[in-house]
Amino acid sequence: MQHQFSSPDGPVEVSLTRTDSGYALAGHLLEPTGDARLKIRLSDGRIAYAHVAKVGDVWWVHLHGQTYRWERIEPGSTSSQHEGGLVAPMPGKVLEVLVKTGEEVQSGTPLMVLEAMKMEHRIVAAKDGVVTAVHFEAGDQVTQGAVLLELDE
Amino acid sequence: MITKVLVANRGEIACRILRACREAGILTVAVCAPNDQGTLFTEMADELIVLNGDTIATTYLDQEQIIQAALSTGSDAIHPGFGFLSERAPFARSVKQSGIIWIGPSPEAIEQMGDKMTARQTMRNAGVPVIPGEEVESEDQHDAMAALLSASERVGYPLLLKASSGGGGKGMRAVYDPADFLQSAEGARREALAAFGDGRIYIERLLNGSKHIEIQVLADRHGRTIHLGERECSVQRRHQKVFEEAPGPTMTPELREAMGQAAIQAAQAVSYEGAGTVEFLLAPTGEFFFLEMNTRIQVEHPVTELVTGTDIVREQLRIASGQPMSCGELNIRGHAIEVRLYAEDASNNFLPSIGPLAVFRPPEGPGIRLDTGVREGDDVTPNYDPMLAKLIVWAPSREEALQRMRRALDDFVILGTTTNVRFLRELCDAQPIVDGTTTTTTIDDHWPNGWNPIAAPLLEDASLLAAAAGETMGLHRTLAARPDGESLGLPSPFSTLSRRYP
Repeated sequence: MQHQFSSPDGPVEVSLTRTDSGYALAGHLLEPTGDARLKIRLSDGRIAYAHVAKVGDVWWVHLHGQTYRWERIEPGSTSSQHEGGLVAPMPGKVLEVLVKTGEEVQSGTPLMVLEAMKMEHRIVAAKDGVVTAVHFEAGDQVTQGAVLLELDE
Repeated sequence: MITKVLVANRGEIACRILRACREAGILTVAVCAPNDQGTLFTEMADELIVLNGDTIATTYLDQEQIIQAALSTGSDAIHPGFGFLSERAPFARSVKQSGIIWIGPSPEAIEQMGDKMTARQTMRNAGVPVIPGEEVESEDQHDAMAALLSASERVGYPLLLKASSGGGGKGMRAVYDPADFLQSAEGARREALAAFGDGRIYIERLLNGSKHIEIQVLADRHGRTIHLGERECSVQRRHQKVFEEAPGPTMTPELREAMGQAAIQAAQAVSYEGAGTVEFLLAPTGEFFFLEMNTRIQVEHPVTELVTGTDIVREQLRIASGQPMSCGELNIRGHAIEVRLYAEDASNNFLPSIGPLAVFRPPEGPGIRLDTGVREGDDVTPNYDPMLAKLIVWAPSREEALQRMRRALDDFVILGTTTNVRFLRELCDAQPIVDGTTTTTTIDDHWPNGWNPIAAPLLEDASLLAAAAGETMGLHRTLAARPDGESLGLPSPFSTLSRRYP
């Protein structure tokens, strides 16, 4: 049983082994419990109950005080992430646009100031590049996921 | 006597007050914005008035509408909670003029303390030490900037810009380099204008390495003004408290007495009535300075309640109805810690996050208290403050309280929305927290490059196993679906049936 999940370090391939009572991976053994928890005998011998929920394509897993998010990559699908686009992390209002189209920016340069949740947030360049488009101006409302501006390396 | 209270607030603090009223046998009225309908606090009141409006200004800040709601429901008192209208003197005045009891101090006391610049002057006159700094009284942006710039040279760096109407870290900026001054001042002014409609800014010396210690006070109409000891709330991020405890880990009985007396003096200087908090900075030199007085119930009041055995909200109700407070001699017992759970991504510069609370299972067991306004199945929206809950623990000693907090945070399951739970859990292991040597810069000092979780490869692999097995078994299809098609971590009755009768 192959699954692919995305992680900050790139896609992760998971190959589950079927066991008599459940599944195994990297020395951990999992048994379903009949509710939204999964009983796992960890490779170090401890028992842990994982709480799981799937929201959209993301599996959320809580186990022993840690919470993980694993976004499932559907077989055959390609990444739909907008290349180079800087996306609004949440709905809000643009307070200030600090760069113009054509401007060269370095990693860490503040690009835009966004107000959301009653606080100001700075959108900064994650890499060096040239601003190729600015899609909003001060005062505009933006929705979550809206591409604010675009950067080319 | 108070027979019916309208709670002019929302979320967690509305729940806290509504519960206290119900315990006291007082009828309750909740008011909510249309986008809050169906949230937890709206279900806790005897009556609910849905306010007309689609912004905070036209709902929770609409004084006229709220007073009308109180009058139309026959409420004889209004409890403002914290934030929103709690420190708006004109509102307190209108409430009283409408013949309704205001559960809080007089409008004059709110004015004297609420305007931070006036408060500094009042305290100076009352002989309470204030932080070195300068107030700039100018409404005009250009004049104000020029005056601030010249004041900044006299106060010296590093300094702190603060909004005169400020609170909650809004309109506040630390400036270390004179070159950044104007940009910071403009940012602070803009944030203050947006949040409070008042862009006046003042300057204080930034006392790095200080502890934030605050004293809870209570004053009734029968001549008693007392303090309930201190809370230490040094651990802050962007001037938002995240970890609060009582008693202060380095407090001595002598210092408590001195600060307690200064707090009582501050309260008496404005003829204070009800519950309030006098905030101080305790410098490494042992000197303490008045920071501000919050003329309302505070977010972190539960730690004081747990160590003093006082129900501060019940005392507020008692005092407002003209009865004497019920507190006896101050008797601090054990240790309490509160952490604030936020919907935010601590590993991404604490950016607020939104999403469904697909699973929300708070910890249980001895010495654990949860004050929250949400429950499983709710959505975290960007409309309001991202604080989800306050987790408070009590134990006989500080060390045991920390151990209990670690266990409680490990047991707290929140899925569907990114929260700061893991950050709080690792905070409990940070050396300054363990040692009790926290200051207002502890978080920045401990994580100078931002916070990232400590990797736990074994658990990470096991979590991948859980996700992959969940997918393979189609677990998400057997979990109850929400109307928008997303699955929640609740077992649906149908999946149970299908297992039993295949």
